[in-house]
Amino acid sequence: MDTNSRKKELVKEFSPMIEKSSFFSNVWILILIAIIAVGLYAFYLQLINGHEITGMRDNVVWGVYIINFIFFVGLSYSGAFISGILHFFKTPWKNSVTRIVEIITVLSIVIGPIFILLCIGRLDRLYYLFMYPRIQSPITWDIIAIITDLVGCFIYLFLTFIPDLAILRDSPNLKIPKWRKKLYKFLAINYQDTTEQRKRLHKITSIMSKMVIAMAIVAYTVLAWIFSLTLQPGWNSTIFAPDFIFSGLYSGVGVIIIAMYFIRKYYKLEKYIIQSHFVMAGYVLLVLSLLFGYFTFSDYFAKWFSHKPADVNLLNTLFGHYFWQFIFANYIGVIVPLFILSIKKIRTIKSISFAAVIAVSGLWLNRYLVVVPTLETPYIPIQDTRPEFIHYNATWIEWALSFTGIAAFLLFFLLIMRFVPVISMSEIINHERKTNTKEDASIKN
Amino acid sequence: MGTKIIQFVVITLAIALLMNIKSFAQENDLKNYKVRFSLNNIKQPDNSRILETSFIATNKKDRKDRVPVFEASINFFNVADDKEILLGTAKTDKEGTAQLTVPANQKYITDSEGYINLKAVFDGTDGLDYEEAELAVRDVFLELNLEEIDSVKTVLLNAYTLDSLNTKIPLEETEIKFSIPGFISNRPIQQGTIENGEFQFEFPENIFGDINGNVDVIASILDNDEFGNVIQRKNIHWGINKKIETESYKLWSKVAPIWMYVVLSILLLGVWANYVYSIINLFKIKKEGAELNAKIKK
Repeated sequence: MDTNSRKKELVKEFSPMIEKSSFFSNVWILILIAIIAVGLYAFYLQLINGHEITGMRDNVVWGVYIINFIFFVGLSYSGAFISGILHFFKTPWKNSVTRIVEIITVLSIVIGPIFILLCIGRLDRLYYLFMYPRIQSPITWDIIAIITDLVGCFIYLFLTFIPDLAILRDSPNLKIPKWRKKLYKFLAINYQDTTEQRKRLHKITSIMSKMVIAMAIVAYTVLAWIFSLTLQPGWNSTIFAPDFIFSGLYSGVGVIIIAMYFIRKYYKLEKYIIQSHFVMAGYVLLVLSLLFGYFTFSDYFAKWFSHKPADVNLLNTLFGHYFWQFIFANYIGVIVPLFILSIKKIRTIKSISFAAVIAVSGLWLNRYLVVVPTLETPYIPIQDTRPEFIHYNATWIEWALSFTGIAAFLLFFLLIMRFVPVISMSEIINHERKTNTKEDASIKN
Repeated sequence: MGTKIIQFVVITLAIALLMNIKSFAQENDLKNYKVRFSLNNIKQPDNSRILETSFIATNKKDRKDRVPVFEASINFFNVADDKEILLGTAKTDKEGTAQLTVPANQKYITDSEGYINLKAVFDGTDGLDYEEAELAVRDVFLELNLEEIDSVKTVLLNAYTLDSLNTKIPLEETEIKFSIPGFISNRPIQQGTIENGEFQFEFPENIFGDINGNVDVIASILDNDEFGNVIQRKNIHWGINKKIETESYKLWSKVAPIWMYVVLSILLLGVWANYVYSIINLFKIKKEGAELNAKIKK
């Protein structure tokens, strides 16, 4: 196999994604920028007026910001986990999804922590966390874990990008601006795809892939501990850490399926992202829906069985004020994906993607129900009985900033896909190289 | 098309099934419940009196299914012959309990036998019938004296009632219990029978008090047919000083436990060392590439 000509072929195949931007994608980018602009205005208002203009009060001190934080960070950790696992697979089908997973991993860990900053009433005191850290505090552990994970994910993403960046650097026919060519050259760090360089890069990528799996488990456990080590009804549970890990994976696989569906459809990648990708991801989602359902049931069952007044009060709130949200998050969010994914006849790309949408929405709502109802039913009775102090309702500011997070995630995703092909070219070449070597060896024998 | 129909049917069935869960759970019928309305009385150390009613509907078939009557207005009366004095009104709480504290200076009217007749009345609503409960108690006085007699810590109790001429009439054959306050419930230290209006015992050793060694001694006549519930208590410096031990290595202490520093350092060192290792290798890749480029140029 002539590697160089194969590289040229692949660059030619993926160049429309890199060189041109369609009218549709430009409009889409403008919409996303408009949403972000509204969000920035909302942030300005929050900064000037304080948390008074949000729904957060003395009792319910956490709202949709922290829910988005848990959701995005969970997405990142599950992405890191899946990406690390995929690295060990030798099959060609992984090449079509690894980059999607890696981009989701890095973008989520960048967007997620921004939401925690929005929860802080006095941002000017943020540096206190670094100046006077308490090693005993789970918050400190979480800060350390997030920073470590962020750096690790960036390094891992960069390692997987290098061979493709080198291919793009060595493609003079690409119709791209000069600054991009310079950027490719800078980021490709003189990578020439020699055997020595390939071995070295493979070695460190392998170590990093193992590392990100371990880090994802540790970091998401630490995040779960922020809740479970707090004496609040519904949080103080030993099952929280594994529950968070599986629910994070559940949402992560769901978002990967949704991303695969849209990327396949709008970039016309039917050749690379095929039905078996969706079916395999669907199987994983099926198993995870069972695990998520099992953990959720175990958690609530133990609370119900204990008959502790605070837990009973929390369950009454969940089955009363939050009845429909609870049903959607914990019943529909589990049963519907379970039904769709377990019946072979209805297991199509569209239905699997629909199941993923239900799973992800249910999971977000589940996170909401973990945070808000608990804060509304504390152990110590609420003193201030004004309705806004008893019940939390997110304001337009919080929703605007939440949608800004999603818009920023999508915008950066689009921009990264314009910078580097969403299907890893180097992985395709590596696979073909290995196949040819095996074939040559069998012919010789 | 067929797939879409199956999808629609499955989702609709799932939603319909889930919607029904709540409607089954909501079915309650008042006819299946028997209302229990009772009155209780506690005379407190300061001679004030707590009047307490319990207003609970119990399922006739399932005794565990108890529904407290909430926000019911209860009137408390002192009655004798034809007279009826309103002592006060209280509303039931979430547990179905209404409490009224009658001050110590309240003058009660008594019947010919010297009993205070108390009555609690619920006037009824559209859904609930009229309810009343009565109670007759004799006013009893407990005098608690804590003295050291010949270096022996002694608890002395005098118990009596007053006749119409305010003459003390000692109590006879009445059960009495002594206790000290505990974390969850009171801890009993002695119990016996009052004879000739008196009861006395030696206060046990090794009883923990508060930080200053003070301890409350509580004397109580409980659920007595004639006197109801009567409580007397007195504080004395007879307890052992409770030592508050400061334990180190707590999460709220100034310094974290050493193991935490060790574990965190090992974890972080391991991870960050790997980052450094990766970056060093990236530089090596860059260097190798630069050397290769230089060779090609030559």
